[in-house]
Amino acid sequence: MPQWLDVNPRSGVPLYVQLVEQIKHALEIGALQPGEQLPTVRQLASELTIAPNTIVKAYDELARLGLIESKAGVGTIVVMNLNGTLRQQQRAAFFERVQALIRDAAHLEIDEEQVRSAFDAALRRFYHVAQGEEGAK
Amino acid sequence: MAAAIEIEHLIINYGAHRAVDGLTLTVPVGAIFGFLGPNGAGKTTTIKTLLGLRSPDGGSARVLGYDVASQSLDVRARVGYVSEVNSLYDSLTIPQLCAFCRAVNRTWNQAVVDRYIQVFGLPARARVGRLSKGMKSQLALSLALGSNPDLLILDEPTSGLDPLARHEFLNKLVAEIAAAGKTIFFSSHLLSEVEAVADWVGIIRHGKVVVCDELDHLKQTQKVLKLTYAELPLPAELEALRALPTVMSLSQEGRTVRLLAHGDVAALAEAIQARPYALRDVDTVDLNLEDLFLEYMKEGEHGPERTD
Repeated sequence: MPQWLDVNPRSGVPLYVQLVEQIKHALEIGALQPGEQLPTVRQLASELTIAPNTIVKAYDELARLGLIESKAGVGTIVVMNLNGTLRQQQRAAFFERVQALIRDAAHLEIDEEQVRSAFDAALRRFYHVAQGEEGAK
Repeated sequence: MAAAIEIEHLIINYGAHRAVDGLTLTVPVGAIFGFLGPNGAGKTTTIKTLLGLRSPDGGSARVLGYDVASQSLDVRARVGYVSEVNSLYDSLTIPQLCAFCRAVNRTWNQAVVDRYIQVFGLPARARVGRLSKGMKSQLALSLALGSNPDLLILDEPTSGLDPLARHEFLNKLVAEIAAAGKTIFFSSHLLSEVEAVADWVGIIRHGKVVVCDELDHLKQTQKVLKLTYAELPLPAELEALRALPTVMSLSQEGRTVRLLAHGDVAALAEAIQARPYALRDVDTVDLNLEDLFLEYMKEGEHGPERTD
């Protein structure tokens, strides 16, 4: 089994979603490169002891995203890497999370100034530690 | 999608007791279908009916297109069956048992059986009585494949197997049999094994289907939404939540309300946040099969039923 695959059937996250996410992640970090071959459905079913249909579904989804291609007689090939598109999505998600935090603060009646000073304090803490200035409180 | 098994409004009575009570279930071709339910829910009775061993008292069932009541011979010729009770003849050797099976089956492919015996690494000439429980299950499965069935019906095939033997059995079931395109219908008590190998699940209770769906779809669409209100929610508001079309059940404990929801849970969460009651927290909880099973078992008689 490829080392970057580690599915957990007992999770509440559907198995095919786990497969799609992990293969996307492998593309993002470069563990899988364009031109590389993915295991066949039967190989993967055997390695992971999961239903072949689940793997077919994951491969279909990845093909729909244009990341892999299945060719008769050749197998399933990676055709594209993610070139940081995941990173872009993660950045967008980060700013959404900031928005959600502010909304939560409003629900909890934490006012604008308190949120700002909490952010400032957290930023100071993080960057001071990162710069090795651990003496600063 | 073609159906390997189609059960419609099936009723089976044992004397005054109704073991199966209007059960409706469809198993698509090519599925690995996990058939779940508590003891006495009607699983084995349903399986016996599918094999034509018990006639329906109402409703109907078709297996590979054949009616189980009027065409049971056709059904039995095309379905491989492994029961929870091992009914192999202990005094025979494996080749003798194969010869016996060949004699009583209309179609028999010894090469296929030999291949599976080899896949499982069974001692080819051994006496059946000498085999371990795990090996006997593997032999029973190999023999069930001898008539080259399109559908395998397995009644608790791994009960009594140790974890290693169970894993081996399920692994071959998935990699050798399902991958060859055969439909597998198996009952089980072990939610963890169903969760790993099944792509469809049907849960029955009191002889009725409470849910029948693709497992991934079920996990994607059935979630618990945990709402924490700023103030104790009013009974009228709880009723309004209960009446929302995607809310299947609701339980309340103080300011916390748990909704079992299906469908677009994010949209539901947004709709609830737009209501005029302040919420401290809204949390979406993913459910694994055990959580789902327990949620369905919790629901009362008036609980919702879904068969989509």
